[in-house]
Amino acid sequence: MRDVFVVGIGITSFTRLEYPLSEIAAYPAMAALKDAGLRRVDHVYVANMGGGRVNHQTGLASAVVDTLSLTPAGAETVENGPASGASAIKEGFLAVASGMHDVVLVTGAERMREVNNLEATDFVATLTHPLAEYIYGVTLPSLAGMFTRLYMDRYGVTERHLAMVAVKNQNNALLNEFAHLHQPITVEGILDSPEAMTNNPYVAEPLRFFDCCPVSDGGACVILASRERAEALGGPLVRLAGVGQATDTHCIHEREEPTDLLAVRSAAAQAFDRAGVAPSDVDVAELHDAFTILEIVESEEVGFFGKGEGHLALERGDTSLGGRLPINPSGGLKGRGHPVGATGVAQAHEIVLQLRGEAGERQVDGARVGFTCNFGGFGNNVVCLAFVRES
Amino acid sequence: MPREIYAYRCRKCGRLHYPYRMVCKGCGDNEHNEFDPVPLPREGTLLTFTELHNLPSDFEVPTLKLGIVELDGGLRITGQLDVAEPVVGMRLRGTVEVVRVESYDRRHGMVFREA
Repeated sequence: MRDVFVVGIGITSFTRLEYPLSEIAAYPAMAALKDAGLRRVDHVYVANMGGGRVNHQTGLASAVVDTLSLTPAGAETVENGPASGASAIKEGFLAVASGMHDVVLVTGAERMREVNNLEATDFVATLTHPLAEYIYGVTLPSLAGMFTRLYMDRYGVTERHLAMVAVKNQNNALLNEFAHLHQPITVEGILDSPEAMTNNPYVAEPLRFFDCCPVSDGGACVILASRERAEALGGPLVRLAGVGQATDTHCIHEREEPTDLLAVRSAAAQAFDRAGVAPSDVDVAELHDAFTILEIVESEEVGFFGKGEGHLALERGDTSLGGRLPINPSGGLKGRGHPVGATGVAQAHEIVLQLRGEAGERQVDGARVGFTCNFGGFGNNVVCLAFVRES
Repeated sequence: MPREIYAYRCRKCGRLHYPYRMVCKGCGDNEHNEFDPVPLPREGTLLTFTELHNLPSDFEVPTLKLGIVELDGGLRITGQLDVAEPVVGMRLRGTVEVVRVESYDRRHGMVFREA
C-alpha cells in the first residue's frame, strides 16, 4: 500500500447553522482546497447520517460535488451512523493507498437542528435494535446510562469523574473558535451547588445534562493525497499512518461482558499496528465523548490506560491540556459539538492542526503522533485513525 | 394464547439467541429457518437500569425506567421496568404488554415487576 498524507483541512462553526446541508458539506471543502492549494480532486466522499431522514435530501455527494464544480470526479455518500466521518476517511485512505486515486476529498456534514431535540434524539435512536431495544423507548442516552451504572459499580467511577470530563472538555472548547459550546462550567456549579439539580438535571440516570454532547450542525473536511502529490504541494507532511475498524453486537445486552467495548479495543489495535506506533507514543488524542463516560472508557480500551484506570488518569490531570496525554483539546463532542456525520472528520481536523503546530492556545507542545476514535451506534461500529507528523 | 417473546435455538448446535438473527453466532450455520422459537423465561435478575427523562415523542409519561435483565438460564433482555425503586441484583418477573404505540401500531414487549 502507498503512504497517504493529509494535505488540506477545513471546518465550519459547530452550532445551529441556517444554511442547507449541501453547503454545510461544501464550505469546509472550499476551505480545505484553499488550505491545500488545490482546484481539482480525483474523488469526493461525503459523510452524512441523516440527510434523507432529517433534511429530506438524498444523494448528498452528487449535490456537493456539483456545487463545488468538481464534476466529473466520482462522489459518494458514506453512512456509518455516528462513525460516518472516520468511515469516509477510511474509504479515501484506501483509494489513495491502493493507487486508484492520487487526491481525494473527504467532507462530513450534518444538519440536525432543522428538527427539534426530541426528533433529533429519535433520529439517533433509530440506530438501536428495532425489535429488542427501540420499541421500549431506548435512546442512545439510555444505553449510555445503563452502561455508566455498570461501570460505576464495577470500577469506582463516580458522578464527580463524569463532571470532571465535562468541565475539562468545555474549558478546552473555550479555546476553539469553531466549538458549539462556549460556556465555562465548574464541578461545583454542576454537581455541588444548591442549583445543581436545576441546571444539571438527570437525562438518563446516572447521566445528567452536562454528561451529554449537544445536538449540533456542522461540517469538516480533510483532503488526502499520495506522497508524490503531498511533497509537490509542499505543505507540512502529516501522514494518515494507520486505520482500524471493528464491529460488535447490535444489542448491548448480548455482549458477554457489557462493560467491555471490544470494537474500540480491536479498531485501535489495528490502527496502531498498521501505523507502527504504540499507544504510549501518542501525544494527543480525540476520543468520541458523546457521553462523558465514553471518554474514560475509550481511553482504557484504546490502550492509553489499564482497564478501570481511565478515571484515575483523569484525576491526575494526565488527559488535560498540559498533561501527559491531552484528550479532546478541541473540546471533543461534548464541547465542540456532535453533528453526527461530521464528527469523525472534525476529530481528524483537530489532530492535523495539532500535528502541524497550528492549534493556537490549545496547542499540545511538540505533538508528533495523534489518534482518533470515532464510535458508531453504542460501540457496535468503531473506526480509529493514527496520524504521524513526518517533517 | 398468551403472547410470548421468543429466543431462537439453533437446530444444529443448540445455541440460544435473543433477539433473532439470520445466522447462528455459535456454529455459523446459515441454512434458512434452522432455528426453533423457544419462549423466553419470565424471571431473572436486574443487571443494570436507567430512568430516562428525555423521552421519544411516542411516550406520554414524564419518565421511563429501562433495564437489562439477566433471565434464568443466562439470556439477557432489554425491557421496561415498572418498579418504584430499582436495585441492581433484584429479582424481577416479566409480562408481555404494549410498550409503545406508534401511529396506531401497538408494539408488544417485556415489562418487568418485582418478583
